[in-house]
Amino acid sequence: MTSLGNTRIAFIETMIELVEQDPKAVLVCADSVLVVKGQDFIRKYPDHFIDVGIAEQNAVDCAAGLAACGLIPFVATYAGFITMRACEQVRTFVAYPGLNVKLVGANGGIGAGEREGVTHQFFEDLGIVRTIPGITVVVPADADQVRHATRAIHQVKGPAYLRIGSGRDPVVDCEEIPFELGRIRILAEHGKDIILFTAGFVANRALLAAEVLSKEGIKATVADVHTLKPLDRKGIVTLLKKTNAAVTIEDHNIIGGLGSAIAELSAEECPAYIKRLGIQDLYTRSGNPESLLDYYGIGVKDIVTAAHTTLKRRDS
Amino acid sequence: MIKKQHSIRNVHDRIGELEEIACQIRIDIITMIHKAGDGHPGGSLSVTDMITALYFEVMNVDPKHPEKPDRDRFVLSKGHACPALYAALARKGYFSRDELPRLRSLESHLQGHPDMNKTPGIDSTAGSLGNGVSIGLGMVLAGRLTGHDYFTYVITGDGEIQEGVIWEAAMTASKYKAGRLIVFVDNNGIQSSGPVDKVSGLYPILPKWAAFGWHCQEIDGHDFSQILSAIEKAQACTDQPSVIQAHTVKGKGVPFMVGDNSWHKRVPTTEEYREAMRHLGGPCL
Repeated sequence: MTSLGNTRIAFIETMIELVEQDPKAVLVCADSVLVVKGQDFIRKYPDHFIDVGIAEQNAVDCAAGLAACGLIPFVATYAGFITMRACEQVRTFVAYPGLNVKLVGANGGIGAGEREGVTHQFFEDLGIVRTIPGITVVVPADADQVRHATRAIHQVKGPAYLRIGSGRDPVVDCEEIPFELGRIRILAEHGKDIILFTAGFVANRALLAAEVLSKEGIKATVADVHTLKPLDRKGIVTLLKKTNAAVTIEDHNIIGGLGSAIAELSAEECPAYIKRLGIQDLYTRSGNPESLLDYYGIGVKDIVTAAHTTLKRRDS
Repeated sequence: MIKKQHSIRNVHDRIGELEEIACQIRIDIITMIHKAGDGHPGGSLSVTDMITALYFEVMNVDPKHPEKPDRDRFVLSKGHACPALYAALARKGYFSRDELPRLRSLESHLQGHPDMNKTPGIDSTAGSLGNGVSIGLGMVLAGRLTGHDYFTYVITGDGEIQEGVIWEAAMTASKYKAGRLIVFVDNNGIQSSGPVDKVSGLYPILPKWAAFGWHCQEIDGHDFSQILSAIEKAQACTDQPSVIQAHTVKGKGVPFMVGDNSWHKRVPTTEEYREAMRHLGGPCL
């Protein structure tokens, strides 16, 4: 049974810590305070909370104004409403002027979509923000990592996008492996037959797949690529050179996210056999998170099969 | 109470002076667009008097310290009118007037639309329509939190307020009783593809803002006495954001541009430039 953490609470508890230490930090919501479990935050720091109503473009613009006057606003609501509805505000009024605005997107991916269906399952957010120059893009592996990531983007001046989930987000038992913005984390190192690159709340699946593969004689390394931008080019290329084979695993369209990032880098610096697992460029359905990920080909079995297929291609 | 250091009650003596500055800014606008070979003259000329009043009478700003935290802020939400802002900033001393003709060129810091990082004195990047009121609201809310009591002034176009995000901001500013947010709607009546009332169902303007809880005024946007008096009243209204519908003329000051919307974006030929200068009293080439 997968144990679950809560990335939303991890974010808001870290926000409370941040405001305690830094009076410049502000939380901006778009009627999304319950989404990010912000009740305690409001109780403790009412002056550091701004709710603009259901108006995401306004939220992002307002944050740009706050940041232009020296504050550090964290705009937190559903991932798609930030990255799609307010996309232009993110690009033109936050990223272009390089303002110190942090964007926190909930329900990143279908697993985090709360059975709401496509309107609330966001699997294009990372691709969208990754094409906008000047934004740090972070996709933590679980709730513990969200705490580190929230602190890290607060410390780095400039625009950042942080993906969080539904509040029922699988826990990866790798807390001892340090989080450093822009550096991959090696979550497991069975051997150097193939690399399993993962980003987001599917890392648990990559780890399980690596164990299955190990029993079948294939020794995989599992790398958590939590920072999609700036990408740890050196760390990734070093791994690819060892194996010439990789599977990418993400709860996102295979276009634009982790799979794209790794394939682009590989094409330029270290051609390798790569299979991209994720949403296969289609619209998904409502459903239980774990069943959904299995249904759309991001299951442990799918990862194992993809590893076998990729190695066969490499070795034939 | 325009600013502690210079009360509006004494500024009426200065209206002639402001009119002269506005005329010089209009000369600079036409000259820079002519020399640069690109730009939007019509809407720049319609906002000139409001920008002149703000920078040369009202706002607490210091070109020697463009980043000082307690300065008043200005957002030119209709960013395509930036030739007026650039001319005002140069005349105010933020950068050399020699830079103006280099508008929109690769070497210049004067971008096609305002860029807060490239051009000294610009408080907000702008140009994509509809966003300035929200950004201005953010600036006002930041002032509350940082303990500064500056005012934030925004100029939007009239066509511009067809954008939905304007009304999102209108609701939020009302909720936060953002008395230090003062918005001018440059109501020159004409947008890119034609008269505002033909392009959309925008009118009437002020009842919409009033319905959202804003303090509303209507003025002649080329009459300094009315502009200054409206600002004074807006400043005095501390628990409501203020909007000032400024009736203006697109192409104001250059008669052949008035009523001809091709001047929304068009470059004067040498002959047209000379004619404009004859009207404005500027130097001929």
